[in-house]
Amino acid sequence: MTITPDFVNDITMEQLEADPYPFYERLRKEAPVAFVPALGMHLVSTRELCEQIARDDENWPAVISAAGGRTFGPAALLNTNGEEHRELRDMVEPHLQPSAVDKYIDNLVRPFARERIAAFENDGHVDIVAAYCEPVSVRALGDLLGLDDVSTDKLREWFHKLSVSFTNAAVDENGEFANPEGFRPGDEAKAEIIAHVDPKIDKWSTQPDHTAISHWLHDGMPEGQTRSRDVIYPNLYVFLLGAMQEPGHAMATTLAGLFSRPEQLERVIDDPELIPRAAAEGMRWVAPIWSAAVKRAARDVTVGGVDLPEGSIVMLTYGSANQDEHAYDAPSQYDLDRPVRPTMTFGGGKHACAGTYFANAVVRIGLEELFEAIPNLERDTDHEVNFWGWGFRGPKQLFVKWEV
Amino acid sequence: MADKYTVRVTGQDVDLTVGEDQSVLDAALRANQWLPHSCTQGTCGTCKLKVLCGEVDHRDSPEYTLTTEERDSGLVLACRAAPRSDLVVEPLGAVDDGVPRHPLRDHEGTVVVLDDIAAATRRLVVELDEAMQFNAGQYAELLIPGTTLARQYSMANPPSETRRLEFHIKLTEGGAATERWIFRSLSVGDRISLRGPLGQFHLVDKTDGPVILIGGGTGLAPLKSIVQHALAEDLAPELYVYHGGRRKVDLYDVEFFLELETRHDHVHYRPVLSEQDWDGATGMVTDAVVADFASCKGMSAFLCGPPAMVAAAVKALKRRRMAPRMISKEEFTVAPPVPDVDAAAS
Repeated sequence: MTITPDFVNDITMEQLEADPYPFYERLRKEAPVAFVPALGMHLVSTRELCEQIARDDENWPAVISAAGGRTFGPAALLNTNGEEHRELRDMVEPHLQPSAVDKYIDNLVRPFARERIAAFENDGHVDIVAAYCEPVSVRALGDLLGLDDVSTDKLREWFHKLSVSFTNAAVDENGEFANPEGFRPGDEAKAEIIAHVDPKIDKWSTQPDHTAISHWLHDGMPEGQTRSRDVIYPNLYVFLLGAMQEPGHAMATTLAGLFSRPEQLERVIDDPELIPRAAAEGMRWVAPIWSAAVKRAARDVTVGGVDLPEGSIVMLTYGSANQDEHAYDAPSQYDLDRPVRPTMTFGGGKHACAGTYFANAVVRIGLEELFEAIPNLERDTDHEVNFWGWGFRGPKQLFVKWEV
Repeated sequence: MADKYTVRVTGQDVDLTVGEDQSVLDAALRANQWLPHSCTQGTCGTCKLKVLCGEVDHRDSPEYTLTTEERDSGLVLACRAAPRSDLVVEPLGAVDDGVPRHPLRDHEGTVVVLDDIAAATRRLVVELDEAMQFNAGQYAELLIPGTTLARQYSMANPPSETRRLEFHIKLTEGGAATERWIFRSLSVGDRISLRGPLGQFHLVDKTDGPVILIGGGTGLAPLKSIVQHALAEDLAPELYVYHGGRRKVDLYDVEFFLELETRHDHVHYRPVLSEQDWDGATGMVTDAVVADFASCKGMSAFLCGPPAMVAAAVKALKRRRMAPRMISKEEFTVAPPVPDVDAAAS
């Protein structure tokens, strides 16, 4: 039995959500595989170990965290493996293949991005997260899924509520949820989602169209049958949370990173071809899905020098892996020019993010349109940049200004 | 005879034949195979290529443009590097298609005009033996007699005048081309060698929005070509020409532009002096632009002049919300130091 250091025993969810970096920096140095009582599972914090476990689906099948399972229900992409997982990937992947994305992405994102910018471009200042990053992110995916009749603000409200529940991970000494009330927002959102989407599924069942949910219902199913709602909903929640929230986080994080290096911001604005690299570094710097991938030991294993019995649950912390001192120089600094090295931003192995290409395209186009319309964008230094989150992380608000 | 090698550019069909003393860029442009480039002196880095296969001699590629690290990773400057084996290379930047390209050629001509037009500034007009096709805004390299040196000057005449090239030349203290040649021994009637066209600073397509042209000193030259071409082909709804100088004696072609302004309602000419009070605009030319426009959204710009002026103009236009991709820039680049031309020639 390893002895858990005090700093691990004492950590709280509130501390992690405010700023997880100091805690994880210490974990990487002192206890790269550590049981954290507040979470009721082991945390894996180094890049090497996160990568090793993510790629080894034989020994480390994916599961969902307890709070994630409570939020999404069974049969989501995140906690299926083998054949069942393959079938779900086959359901969601056709719309997300690069060749498919290239066909629709410009028309999906640019007109709405321009409309949003037109609404505030003469104001000279705005919270870019609420006014642009989140709306562009949710609208793109909402329209793709077939939720074009759900307002942008409602979609934002849904992902915020699902996010709160998904990351409501704290447990008490008995391993029970410490804050059961924390699931109420997610439950409210799910009730609204079902009330809205159920009639649409009725319609898509008999009148399929080009939307992603309609395809999920029909693709690969025998003639005359559609996929069960028990399969559709958990995966829809995965999309509504991760895929709606994270491109917005990535956009805002990249802006915050560039604001910390004004000369790099100038270069990116002057040369939009640098935007993909700037965004990749933004997502390395602060991984939007900071700490959400969970695996279960299929047998007794030793990892990072720690013996774990079969059934042990470990959480891979990609946000920490991306700031591993052994992989990156000055990892806490945003640096457009750092040598390109693969990151854990989109995970790895068979559960690597299915929407990597889509998300990168949304972020790229969002930033292209923003820099094109407002090339004199700068941070409004009257406000602090306030990053928040442990499961998912990004600026809660990001105030920007420009001369009009 | 020097050895020749075959160079294949990925994405292009034709293999180039490149001599061992020839740059890859020179061979490509002569074969009318476009490669991105700007200064052709090794200072701007626009022409970087990745060598996928083969050996090169970097020759006089400067360390500040092409670092050791970049060399180690296979990068070369196309305007400097010469092959030492057959090569396969890949351009780093986009090879922008759709723009008409004109092959690089050696030309001979006769000096027909050599006038002082402003302080330490001369207009040189060369009657070419054979026509040179070029895009408005491009430049040529004048070969300095008795040396292997060349200096870059933009054509100020419109591209419709393919036989009569006009250049604006500012005296550089100790300059191999200016102080030691064009301002000393060159005379009307002299024969002159040059090669061109070069560069990717040009106006080719019709623009939907107004065009702002800002020139510092002899940076006016390519803008004069662009304005004449835009008027001839009706390429821009409005043309705003800013010419910056220190004092009145630095301005030239004032009458020419005033007359254009009189004849064309959509041409606007604004000379600006930074070191002399007069009845026109004063201050930095870029400040005049900021003062004149509340917004530059939807407009495009052509900037030519010293690097500091170009940088200030980019900043000013971005402040007025012009999209950076709509801004074309041509900077005066400092020629590599030449200890003594006469010695170099001997």
